[in-house]
Amino acid sequence: MNSDISSAATVDALHHEEHSSTGIENKKLMMWLFLASDCMFFGTLITTHLIYRKLYPSGAAEEGILNIKNTFNIELTSFSTFILLMSSFLMALAVSAMHKGQLQSFRKNVLGVIFFGLIFLGCQVYEFTEFSMGNPTAGIPPLTLSNSIFGSTFYLMTGTHGTHVAIGVLWLVAMFFYSFSGRMNIHSAIDVEVAGLYWHFVDIVWIVIFTAVYLIEYI
Amino acid sequence: MNAHALSLESLIKEEAKRYHAFINLAFILAILTSTEIVIIFLPFASWLIVTSLVVLSLVKFFCVILWFMHLIYDRILLFLLFMSGLLIAVGTVIALMFLFSPNDLDRSLFSFNTLSMFFNSFCFVA
Repeated sequence: MNSDISSAATVDALHHEEHSSTGIENKKLMMWLFLASDCMFFGTLITTHLIYRKLYPSGAAEEGILNIKNTFNIELTSFSTFILLMSSFLMALAVSAMHKGQLQSFRKNVLGVIFFGLIFLGCQVYEFTEFSMGNPTAGIPPLTLSNSIFGSTFYLMTGTHGTHVAIGVLWLVAMFFYSFSGRMNIHSAIDVEVAGLYWHFVDIVWIVIFTAVYLIEYI
Repeated sequence: MNAHALSLESLIKEEAKRYHAFINLAFILAILTSTEIVIIFLPFASWLIVTSLVVLSLVKFFCVILWFMHLIYDRILLFLLFMSGLLIAVGTVIALMFLFSPNDLDRSLFSFNTLSMFFNSFCFVA
């Protein structure tokens, strides 16, 4: 089976202009509108966390004063940040491959994105488990959703981001399997591009969270 | 047929250019992230580190939206659309920061000076 889409089809698609008043595909326009609204959503979540961090510097933990620096694992978070950045790179390559009609290359890159996305989620689950258990021998109290203001805002914000990543992974898994149905052609490039926009957005949100929530604690 | 061949050739050239841009950008993002991680352990003034972190994050943010999200290649309308959402978000952030500005709160709560400094730097940058 020839998995690459014919060059004639590619060129035909080039000349296929979307007939909309803006000249932009509706799917793409709607995704950008959604992302603009999601900026506000994450903006308020991050600000809420920072403001409560400032208002309650001790974290108001039930068991001892919360020392976030000891609780955080910067090595693990840095690793997951690299993973997410590289997944964004692979997603850009997947979109590029689909625009060129290279279905095999698209599949390989999307598989990489899914793999990296799962690693990121695994790191987050491990991190949450470590935080929630604490380390009594090292004097690190547990950090749960309900034992401190910091825990509430931190888990809500990073959990919402994690949910976005999980949705992105499911979306890409569905797209990966759909590519074997034989119905994916050059016209599907816009669908891949829209999924890519979502994935990159998840990445830029993490760029902000990594700096404003994690790194700032070490200064 | 010649027109098709020409279009295909230009498409491949354009995508090849983008491909190299993506690879370069991946390296740049990795370097910037490494710099961020190293910079927090350096014995510099807090305001300098905070400002550097904010600037590096902004550079990474705009690199991703411009190149990976194709805003630099797409129509300006999409850029304006996203920026309008982002501006409203930033406006909300600034408004909340002013509402909870250090002057209106009990000074005893502000032992966490770095965050206050971050707020001030962020407001200054914004």
